This record gives sequence, structure tokens and C-alpha cells, in this order.
Amino acid sequence: MQTDYGSLKVLAAGIQAVVEDWPGRIGYYKNGLAISGAADHLSHRIANILVGNPPTEATLEIAGGLFECEFKTDAVIAICGADLEPMINGSPAPMWESLMVKQGDRLKFSYSRGAGFRAYLAIAGGIDVPKFFGSKSTCLWGKYGGFNGRALQKGDELRIGSVRDRNIVGRRLKASYLPRFEAICEVRVVPGPTAAPDFITDEGFDRFYSTIFKIDRNSDRSGYRLVPPEGFFEGFWARKDGGVAGLHPSNIVDIGYPIPGGINLTGNLPIILGPDGPCGGGYIVAGQVLYADVWKVFQAIPGRDRIKFKFADVDEAERSRHVMENFLKNIEFLT
Amino acid sequence: MEVSSICKNSKYCPIVDILPEQPGVRKKTIFRVSGDGYLMVEYGDKQVFDLMDAFRLFTIMERLENKKIDGVIEYGQAFRTLTIIYDPVKTSYKQLIKELKMVEEEVGSPSELTFKSRLLHIPLTFEDNVTRKAIEYYANYIRKDAPNIIDGHNIKYVALYNGVTVDELKQKILNTEWLIVHQLFYPGGDYQLPIDPRSALEAPKYNPSRTYTPEGALGVGGQCFYIYTTESPGGYQLLGRAAPTYQLAQAHPDYRDSPYLLKYSDRIKYVEVPEEKLLDIYKAVHEEHSPRFRYEIREEIFRVKDWLNFIERDDIKEEVREFEMRKREAQKKVPVP
Repeated sequence: MQTDYGSLKVLAAGIQAVVEDWPGRIGYYKNGLAISGAADHLSHRIANILVGNPPTEATLEIAGGLFECEFKTDAVIAICGADLEPMINGSPAPMWESLMVKQGDRLKFSYSRGAGFRAYLAIAGGIDVPKFFGSKSTCLWGKYGGFNGRALQKGDELRIGSVRDRNIVGRRLKASYLPRFEAICEVRVVPGPTAAPDFITDEGFDRFYSTIFKIDRNSDRSGYRLVPPEGFFEGFWARKDGGVAGLHPSNIVDIGYPIPGGINLTGNLPIILGPDGPCGGGYIVAGQVLYADVWKVFQAIPGRDRIKFKFADVDEAERSRHVMENFLKNIEFLT
Repeated sequence: MEVSSICKNSKYCPIVDILPEQPGVRKKTIFRVSGDGYLMVEYGDKQVFDLMDAFRLFTIMERLENKKIDGVIEYGQAFRTLTIIYDPVKTSYKQLIKELKMVEEEVGSPSELTFKSRLLHIPLTFEDNVTRKAIEYYANYIRKDAPNIIDGHNIKYVALYNGVTVDELKQKILNTEWLIVHQLFYPGGDYQLPIDPRSALEAPKYNPSRTYTPEGALGVGGQCFYIYTTESPGGYQLLGRAAPTYQLAQAHPDYRDSPYLLKYSDRIKYVEVPEEKLLDIYKAVHEEHSPRFRYEIREEIFRVKDWLNFIERDDIKEEVREFEMRKREAQKKVPVP
């Protein structure tokens, strides 16, 4: 398919809108480059599939809402992820379906009144930003990738695909395939690599898997900070200090972190590492959220939502990845 | 049998396999999982900084990368652990451990280890005015009574903490090569350990940390050296400023291939230059993008055998022992920030 390009003009930056692809910046973990990529990889991929893009293509990740743009070209788009009440020229825009927009149309997001924090805007033909180390994804703190290494600002013009293929308009995701966003989400976690019995006690893990954590408002694509309840760390640590690595028992000689979804304990602060999180460091990682569930974490609303961990073993975890990939392979649309 | 003896029946134990220790050849090798696409190989069961672990990691990683194992997405290594990120749709941790064990068994005793390692000469100015200003700012606005600032800089404090004079400290930094053992924390970051154990300097970190560190600052924290690639917060004691090691614009000829000059397994040799010379290098690299300054870079093979012969010399061992004692004595008297 020959892609023509037009553009999209940003009228309001909103809370945060960034260009992200999937699976992100692969191959440079050992050099410290964050993996980045869409925080809700499921909604991102569905949005791309709806408009006929490969799932690897970049979309706009719109966090929180209040983003507004004008299409300077006709385009086929799909909006997936959190319901931030998108409107086109003042009328509600359908989600989870591919639709045609005309040159001059304005797309405006409100904010989430229910659950879910990030919406994904896919455009047939993709988003034309240069690749940096093999990826179009933005790494905000690294100030590289995406659109000039930053979130979109008012006045920016983004080159986008201008596809007028009627065959891809009107595809709608079957309701049974819709991801569900919840204000208290439960995600499966496999303990490790630094877990029981040498770093954390069984008692500590029992509590880890039975606590409902509040998500701190100071959470972003680098990491979601959790607020542990009073007394959470009593009897938690299996060591009294970190030896040569430091005074606190959360200190270790640096390791490579599992990203995204590694649950990092920095002192007595648990952080779920996000796609922009560091590739490694000197703090314990108690477990990792399964890839099939990790998108739920970053759809949680910082400062409001809660999260609970459910124990999974590694064999079950590996199987869950097959299940998720099959789900996407067999996804069905109504046309 | 070994796994269950470590895991003690905890269902939260991430250890899935172990290669037993082979004295004189390799430490106990522990395989740990997390999530559904992460495997970690750990050398030994003690939290230590041991160059031998890094040497083994570089050797193993080089072999693994050449082997192109199906389902592996990428590798990362840090001090004493190797991380494998894999796709569980294409492979499994069980399959990967089989392949990893084969490579571990192939690699024999430490004296047989070799790996590619570039040697880079990096110009350095001790106690320069740019780091001095950052430290001054810290003293004025963050912590007035910081014991780690003496005469407006950290260098005298670091010398005291190691029981040496400032001149001896400089010689220890200049006389060794510094191996970049990992760079996972920050793009192009460079956690360095000295090849010569007589240069094993130490320092506690800032408390609280700095909000600002200038580009190129050379710091020491714990047992590691680090060059700050860009302006950033930080907690290491500053010793001076090195030439740039990062250029996003990639306009200077030595940055054509990558905005990051340094990579893991490189060795740095610091070359002392006066401050005007250093500032001129910054100008040539960042403003003029001019080849009138080129980094001196040599491609070499690091042979662990030569290193072992060196550190096992009686005179070296004696000097290391003596320096360790001086450090321990000094640290009894020097306050920690």
C-alpha cells in the first residue's frame, strides 16, 4: 500500500500526548536505553490492527486527556484504550472502530470519568517521525525519540498517513474482545529475580500478595509508585542490610531490571517500573507483572486507583503469553 | 537437590536451576526467573564487586551474541549478573537454561577468558571550576555543613577517606585503566572499576543527593567511578571533569555511529589536562564538531591471564594489603555525609 502523508496539528497539548510504537526500543538494553513503547500495548496493537497498520507502527498515546488536534488531511483513524470521551467536531466519536476523518476535522478528548487513563490514536499509514535507535518511541526523561524527544505541544504539526482506503473503514472490535479497565485492578506477578528466601521473607511475600496498594499520584511512564500501608515492611526483609551495596536491605549490587512491570523496592518505596524505567540499578526487584497483564497497570489513574498482586508461577506465566498472542491473532471485527 | 536446599520450600523462590561451583574455574552459577520473559544468571551467592565476575560475563555474553539463540530478545549485564530478555512464545526458560549451561561449560578456567575491549584515552581535569561551581551551589542551597566538602570541593574529602594525599589519589586514578562493567542505569552510562587493585578507591555518597551535576563530571560512589554523560542529579563525590562522552546531535566525527561514546567492556585511561585544554576540547567537540580533537581509541583483546599474573605478584599483593589497611584506618576517623 502506497502511503501518502498529510499532517495533524496540535491545538491543545492536554495532560500528556506522546508518540509510541511497539514493542519499543529493542536491542539497546545493555547500553541503558529504556525500552519505551506503548504503556498499554494491548490497546495500542488493537488500534493499529483496526486501521490496517502493523502492530509495531507508532500511535499517539494520550494520557489523562484534554488533548485536541485538527486533521490537515483526510485520514482513517481508530481510538482505543481508556474512554477519554473523544469528540469529533463536537459529536461523540466511536471508539474501538476504524473511521474516516476529513481534512479540517477536529478531534478533542475530555478526560476519564470511569476507569482507564491512556487512549491510543492510530492512523492508517502511521506516524512519520524519524527512528532513533530503531524505534519511533519517545523516551521523555532521556529527551530522545518520538517527536523531537518530547511530549506534543500546542502548534506542533505531526506528519501522518493519509489513506483513503474505504475497505478499512467501519471495522468494529467485537464486544467480547474489549479490554476492561478497573479502578482496582488485579495483576498476576511472578516473584523474582531477588525474592524469597534470601532477600524477602515468606511472611513479607504473603503480605505483598494480600495487600491492596494505592497508586501514588507521582506516577508516570517511568514508574508507578505504590503507597504501602502502615507496617507493611515489618518482618519483610530477610537481610538486615545490603552489605557492600548499601545500608538498606533493599540495596543490592546492581542487576538488570525486568521491564516493563518489574516491582522495584527502593528503600521502603515499591515502584512498578514503566516502559521508560531504567534498565538496571542497585535495588531489589521482588517480582514482575505478566506481560499479558502489565497494560492494566498503566491504565490505572495515578493518585486514585488501586492495585493488587496475584501470585503466578513462571510456567503459568509463560503460558499466559501464548494465550495473549493467540487472542490478538484471532481477534474479530464486525464490519 | 541444590535448588531445594536454597529455596527451602518457599513458593516465592525465583531460583529454578543451579550449576555447582567448580573450584578455581567458576563460582556457583544460579538461574533466577521473574515474570514471563526474564532470566538472570548470577555468579556466586555473595553480594560482592569482583572483576572476575565481569570478565566472565563479557566472555559469556560475547559467545551468546555470536550464537544467536532462538527466542532471545536481548542481553544485559551488571557486575555479577547476566540478564536475558526472551520471548516465551518462541522459547522457554527451561530451553534457555540448557543453552546457557552449554556455554558455561565450554568456558574453562579464568585464565582462558578473553573478550574484546577498546582502550580509550579520556582527557580529565581534576578539581576544575565547573564541578567546583556545582559543589558550591550544593553547599549554598542544599547542605551547608556537608562533611564531604573541604575547601569547596570533594577531592580532599575523598583523599582523606582513602587515607592518601590528593596527589596520591590523582596518581591512583591516572595509573590504572578503568573497566566499564555495566551501563544499565543511564543511556551511555559507565560504571567503572579499576583494573589495578591498588587503585580501588572508595567513597560514601552525598546525603542528600545533588540536584545538579555538570556534563562530564567524574564521580566516585561506593567502589565505582562514573562519568555523568549529561547534566543530571547525582550522589557521587566529584573529583573533576572529563571530556564529553555523549552527543545527541552526532555531529562530531567520533559520534557518527552512536551518540554514546562509551560502551560496556571498554577501558578508560584518564589523561590529565589543564582546564583550558579541557574547555577547548568541549568547544571542538560540541560547538565546532571539529576533527581537530579526536578521541584516542584502540581496539584490543583483554586477556584475563595477563591480569591474573599481574595481581598475583607478591609485590602487588603486598601493596594492595597495605592500601586496604590505610583505607580501613582512615575511614574510622572520617565522617560519613
